[in-house]
Amino acid sequence: MIKTIKLEEAVGTELAHDITEIRPGEFKGPAFRKGHTVCQDDICRMQRLGKNHLYVIDLEADEIHENEAAAILAGVLAGEGVAWENNPREGKINLYADRDGLLQVDVQALAAFNLVDEVMCATLHNHTLVKQGELLGGTRALPLIMKRAAIERAAAIARQHGAVLAVRPLAHARAGLVITGNEVYHGLIQDRFAPTLTAKIEALGSEVAALEFAPDEAAAIAQAISAHLERGCNLLLLSGGMSVDPDDVTRHGIRLAGATEMHYGAAVLPGAMFLVAYLGAVPLLGVPACALHHRITALDLVLPRILAGERIGKTELALLGHGGLCRDCPECSYPHCSFGKGI
Amino acid sequence: MEQAVNTKTSVQTFEELLAGSVAAHGHLCPGQIVGVRMAMLGLRLLDFEAPPTYPQLKQLIVFVEMDRCTGDAVAYVSNAKLGRRSLKFVDYGIMAATFVNLESGQAFRVISTEESRDLALVYAPLETDKRAAQLAAYRIMPDSVLFRVQQVQVDLTPFDLPGPTRRKVTCVQCGQVVRDNREVVKDGLSYCRPCAGGGYFTAAREIAWEEMNWAPISPGPKKAGLSIANESAAAGRQ
Repeated sequence: MIKTIKLEEAVGTELAHDITEIRPGEFKGPAFRKGHTVCQDDICRMQRLGKNHLYVIDLEADEIHENEAAAILAGVLAGEGVAWENNPREGKINLYADRDGLLQVDVQALAAFNLVDEVMCATLHNHTLVKQGELLGGTRALPLIMKRAAIERAAAIARQHGAVLAVRPLAHARAGLVITGNEVYHGLIQDRFAPTLTAKIEALGSEVAALEFAPDEAAAIAQAISAHLERGCNLLLLSGGMSVDPDDVTRHGIRLAGATEMHYGAAVLPGAMFLVAYLGAVPLLGVPACALHHRITALDLVLPRILAGERIGKTELALLGHGGLCRDCPECSYPHCSFGKGI
Repeated sequence: MEQAVNTKTSVQTFEELLAGSVAAHGHLCPGQIVGVRMAMLGLRLLDFEAPPTYPQLKQLIVFVEMDRCTGDAVAYVSNAKLGRRSLKFVDYGIMAATFVNLESGQAFRVISTEESRDLALVYAPLETDKRAAQLAAYRIMPDSVLFRVQQVQVDLTPFDLPGPTRRKVTCVQCGQVVRDNREVVKDGLSYCRPCAGGGYFTAAREIAWEEMNWAPISPGPKKAGLSIANESAAAGRQ
């Protein structure tokens, strides 16, 4: 139960919630914290904050305060690799990355959770690369007090697949590169793919364990793939030969090497001719030539997810379409843009 | 209470119940899936099998609050029947059903959430059609998203329970026998509901019809539809 009392009669009572102060452009935060005992000196400041009345709370057995609710919500939203502190400020608890990795958001559960009237949670986009300590999301209960059952239902929804937010660590892969193309193989031009791909792989904490060059011949490409597998490479990247010319035979080479699953084409620009294949459990990514020109392409959207243990198939490549268009800005601000932020 | 040993997975149980319900109802629709799951949840809350064992069935009363596809599915899965007085229809227009255990007095009202409709395309993002999305999504949504549940108290009188008729009263206006305390008493006199002014129909008049003496042992009837004889209709008494 909640009761309203006049501010001048509130001396000696405990505050039922934090009282927020906003000084535009300067400060936003709690001026007084929940549980603070109101004294005579506080009255003037509270009046300046627009308070003429205060709540006094007497909780019924089936009711819950927003701070306790926020702690329950944070506890069920936070999965592996997500940390939070039970110190609600203005009823809100923030969720932070407890390790470097890839943020995984259960988008369905989040939407269902937020349709419960009494609660909210806002997060970064699914599949965002995050560093330890980075803010991932925030949650709070909306009323000051509410029925416990509503919070329990929201908690059950959040737990439907374990938790709503998790940070998946990126595996350390031993990558094998196959750079295809007669022009490189025969030394007509210098390869620029190997250093570009190596930099991307190393930036994600993995290593390039082996490098092969192959001409535009399916059998030679298949042989290079097999050689990498024999060396123990657990991730393969092939560049070039992914387009529509008669010399583009990389896909045939991948099939010849015994790919058990192959998905050609991603709903991403740049990167439409990206390919994902599997040779047993080993993922193989076919990188089209656009990766030499654009800083960020389909590869950058998919590679972290592969390293985080996700299996990428036709559906995942199709779902990239919404948000899959790069604006090609003069100064690239990825990941602080809409690219790859669909589902 | 004796419990049958169920070796099926929950998916098998759900799919079998859904197939049976669809056959009984006539088509597959989102309401059928919601109804099957609503009944499975209600029965589970009572610690009953789905469908209930015979001893459980004797203790079960189900109230359905809508006359839509979901209602048929709830009745099919719970095996509650109007004629056995284990199925009660209350015309609230609410997608909800209440499952009552007569022995323990426990009762759970399972309410389909409006949010689940909005979430169908979130749970089935590859479906472009809303109905197809609902069919796919309602299979995979957890109960917590599909339903809210209230524990409720349902006050039943002996007149509401299965078993023989407890009381018969004759309407003082039309002579109709009214069973199980459903009469309306005005000024100390008992009336049937239609005579008391609470009927769902008006302008009632009794008629005669062709081949009035037909019985299953008779040949025919000649016509599939029974037309009203003009003369009889004209002579119908009000």
